[in-house]
Amino acid sequence: MAKKKRKAGEINSSSMADIAFLLLIFFLVTTTMDVDTGIKRVLPPWVNAEQQKQDAEVNERNVLKINVSRGGNIMVGTDEYKAHDLERHGDHSHLSREVLDFLVNVDRSSKEAKEINGGMYDISQGVVSLQADDETKYAIYLQVQDELVHAFNIYRDLIAQQVYQKSFSELSDNEHNIIADAVRYSISEAEPKESKK
Amino acid sequence: MAKKGKKEVPAMSTSSLPDIVFMLLFFFMAATTMREVDPEVSVALPEAHEVTQLDKKDLVNIWVGMPLNAKEGEDALKIQLNDKTGEVNMVQEFVKEAAATKQVDDLKTLTINLRVDKEATVGLLTDVKQELRKADALTISYAARTKDNQ
Repeated sequence: MAKKKRKAGEINSSSMADIAFLLLIFFLVTTTMDVDTGIKRVLPPWVNAEQQKQDAEVNERNVLKINVSRGGNIMVGTDEYKAHDLERHGDHSHLSREVLDFLVNVDRSSKEAKEINGGMYDISQGVVSLQADDETKYAIYLQVQDELVHAFNIYRDLIAQQVYQKSFSELSDNEHNIIADAVRYSISEAEPKESKK
Repeated sequence: MAKKGKKEVPAMSTSSLPDIVFMLLFFFMAATTMREVDPEVSVALPEAHEVTQLDKKDLVNIWVGMPLNAKEGEDALKIQLNDKTGEVNMVQEFVKEAAATKQVDDLKTLTINLRVDKEATVGLLTDVKQELRKADALTISYAARTKDNQ
């Protein structure tokens, strides 16, 4: 009784598309597309209160104090800025221009000669100290941070022009690191007010 | 000379449909990442000009915002660590655990990504930052969306 050889029937693949659609929709729902972006910052290491006081006394002259009140008023040194001073007009906002002036101006922060790429360049030792009231709205706080970083970026740009005759964004990776190392984001924060409650 | 009968349009071949859909599928699988945790607090990120892209693999997220399932009259900000809300005093332990699961010895290679609601107040954030300093996790980032220049 020899069996008759039958040709195997083809698998119906019309539902393949449905299966693939199902998978596609599953992945569309469970995944996110956005990349994480943010303002990077390095916090100062934890020190005890006594040492803090000493540090603060040493370089009082090179510190620009910025205080953000709960109402959104910004005190820079003794000058008062309002929320609309954070808005950009062209390259600058009023606040970033003020901070940049603090960094560039020899009378306001002392300069230290640093060796960069074989030459000596004066780099500001200025530190911006940022303090905010507990009730300050985060949106304003971050906007202030943004303008501070902007001021430092423009200062880096100035130094990069002096050293390499190029703007900061045009530098190669190596040059980029050299400038970034020489001009740090000297923004001190996170020190809450002592007179709480 | 009248035409002989109407010719029927042949059915469109759908045999390449699975290929097309699979291609789309692979594109999305490659271009996206899995959503890791469900949010417990509502966070609308603020916008900023000077943002940088953050490397996802050494990022540890901490959320600060209003709880989603807040009861009537409750208006206290909460922080979320991983998938559940927590207290400020849990931050240190959380960071150390995160470092252990990511298998890094040095907390400096981790970036603590602070995702704070733009309507939130700074007070709680300041407390969190103090805890991070105590834990020696000093590299942080303020999550923000990119603001278009004008």
